[in-house]
Amino acid sequence: MNKIWIIIQREYITRVKRRTFIITTLLAPLGFFLLLASSFLINSYSQSRTDVAIVDETGLFKDIPIPDAEDHTVYFHKIDQPYEQALKLLPKEKDADAKFQAIVYIPKGFNIDNPKEVQIAYRYMQRPGTSKHDFINRRFSTAIQQLRMKKANVSNEDMDRIKQDVELNFESLDNSKESKGYTDAATIAGLVMGFAIYISLFFYGTMIMKGVMEEKTNRIVEVLTSSVKPFQLLMGKIIGIGAVGLTQFILWILLTGAVNMIAIPLFGSHMVNSGSLHGVNNAVDQDSIMVIRQNLASLPVFEMMCLCPLYFLGGFLLYGSMFAAIGAAMGEDSDQQSLMIPVTAPIIISIIIAINVLNNPDSNLGFWGSIIPFTSPVVMCALIPFRPVWWQIGLSLASLAAGFVLTTWLAARIYRVGILMYGKKVTLKEMGRWIFAKD
Amino acid sequence: MSLLSLQHIVKQYGNYRASDDVSFEIPQGKIFGLLGPNGAGKTTLIRMITRILYPDSGTILFNGEVLSDKHTELIGYMPEERGLYKKMKVGEHLVYLGRLKGLSLQKSREHVQFWLQKFQIESWHNKFIEELSKGMSQKIQFIATVLHDPQLLILDEPFSGLDPINSKLIEEEIHTMSAQGKTIIFSTHRMEQVEEICDEIVLVNKGKKILEGSVKELKQRFKENKFRVSFNDEIRADLLNNLNVVEKKQGELTVKFQQEHRGNELLKLFVEQGVEVTSFNEELPSINEIFIRQVENN
Repeated sequence: MNKIWIIIQREYITRVKRRTFIITTLLAPLGFFLLLASSFLINSYSQSRTDVAIVDETGLFKDIPIPDAEDHTVYFHKIDQPYEQALKLLPKEKDADAKFQAIVYIPKGFNIDNPKEVQIAYRYMQRPGTSKHDFINRRFSTAIQQLRMKKANVSNEDMDRIKQDVELNFESLDNSKESKGYTDAATIAGLVMGFAIYISLFFYGTMIMKGVMEEKTNRIVEVLTSSVKPFQLLMGKIIGIGAVGLTQFILWILLTGAVNMIAIPLFGSHMVNSGSLHGVNNAVDQDSIMVIRQNLASLPVFEMMCLCPLYFLGGFLLYGSMFAAIGAAMGEDSDQQSLMIPVTAPIIISIIIAINVLNNPDSNLGFWGSIIPFTSPVVMCALIPFRPVWWQIGLSLASLAAGFVLTTWLAARIYRVGILMYGKKVTLKEMGRWIFAKD
Repeated sequence: MSLLSLQHIVKQYGNYRASDDVSFEIPQGKIFGLLGPNGAGKTTLIRMITRILYPDSGTILFNGEVLSDKHTELIGYMPEERGLYKKMKVGEHLVYLGRLKGLSLQKSREHVQFWLQKFQIESWHNKFIEELSKGMSQKIQFIATVLHDPQLLILDEPFSGLDPINSKLIEEEIHTMSAQGKTIIFSTHRMEQVEEICDEIVLVNKGKKILEGSVKELKQRFKENKFRVSFNDEIRADLLNNLNVVEKKQGELTVKFQQEHRGNELLKLFVEQGVEVTSFNEELPSINEIFIRQVENN
């Protein structure tokens, strides 16, 4: 036990002291900051103004309001000139200062009940982006709807009443705090948690694998195994690197928190409020963002804070030992990437399951994904915001514990043979034999 | 009393027997040569002594006790293929290896200081391993092997990659430690070193022990009763009639007898004939010759 502790210390201290560790720890939050700042800048520079002339030969739209965009990107102007003349107002090439950049032409014969027969045309020199395209389409759809209502003698007030959205009051029996929009908030939180576990399993798993390969390649392992058991070496490495991972995590959370405190007041709120980050332009969607933000606060934060590190740890022990075994088998022969498939495939499958499960948290897939230890770290972390029942969590944790005991045992058997094996191309079949080899 | 005793050691990998009923004793305080061609099973034997591997059957005794994990702290092993962590500093690396051998942090630091001073390389303390030349890191590896003051030292090709000056330094250190009562297992292909350094040897081939004994005794056992005589004068032809001359040069003869022969009788023959003998030796086989002959016969 004492020797494992000495190994843990070395694995931890040498890594934490390394320049790359310090740089990545500092740069990740800085990168996040730059990402926020640059998306803000890109957004504010990419928003150009488009003036659209409306030529209405039918006169249908005379009394129908077609409001401009709230984010000042599109303005509509009803003009009285004939179409041929209006066309001349368009610039011959791209010109931001021109009076109009596009014309909406409603030709004679346009019929609101059959808008496909004679179509409304949109003529431009500069192709509009997807969001402007959608916005203009939406505006005219609304206008045509109003015309149809008028024709059917439905007043605007009646229409508003008819169109009023109905939102069921989703309320959990055991937790009255859940409110409208909770599911959306839980989905976002689940996705973030699931991805965080997924990425860190890969990142630190690979770190273990490289560490083992280094020891095997430079042959220090022979010196070490004459002092300590391979199992001690394996555990020391996994726990040491796990501690490096946790340290980096905590620092990232603290630093990102600090960056957010500076960045959100500067750029963040502006982006969310204008909706431009999401390409969302109407008021309803903005409301739902506010609702999600309010609901984030009612997530089971305590459970998430306790259980997710536990699942990270379990998943890390489970996969870490397997990555170590692969590293021991590969050694200097790093072109044997195919050996990694049995380890990387289940991690990738778990994130796929997690994404599916977020849309359908009560499915069988979600249940089994959260119980099977190879997928449970990612899937369960994604599910925790949906408050799975306690016995599901208990069963999942027990199965994860059993899983990592099993994989660690198997991996240690492979590791102990692999680290001393040189000059042989190792296959998965060969590794299977090592499990049952005598000491 | 032997420090280490191997009794009927068998180790099998699939169909291949790396150790096939190997038994030998390693006496306390001796320098013991473990010899054999490549792939003979030397490394497997060493790995079983260092408890990296375990024999399928047979017993290893250390100081009369069955070898167990507690003995690993009494053994220092310098493998043939050896490495260090490149990104660590010399001092912290040695302290780490010392602690893995059971030294306390404090003790380990003291021992590292002692050895760096002894080899006059204190200035390397804060150097990174990757800055060292091959010979320099060999020295560090030697220190790592002896740092915890082991009873038994196992050195696998300790001189490979060392320049003559450092080779001499290590060789002297081996003799000093032997004089202090440490037991040393020395594995090498370089036979001239075996003759210089080893007291006793065991020769293994294809997993089997084929020879063991002290260097002196083995040379006697495999001698071919050859004598070499050098002289100043011409020699009368009839003098040689009764002798089996295997080599004849100007002023030098090598004579071989069928059975063991006393050198004095041959010398007497020359002296009585009035030949002025300038040198006279019995030609003993080198360990190298014995090695090659035994391996080929095996």
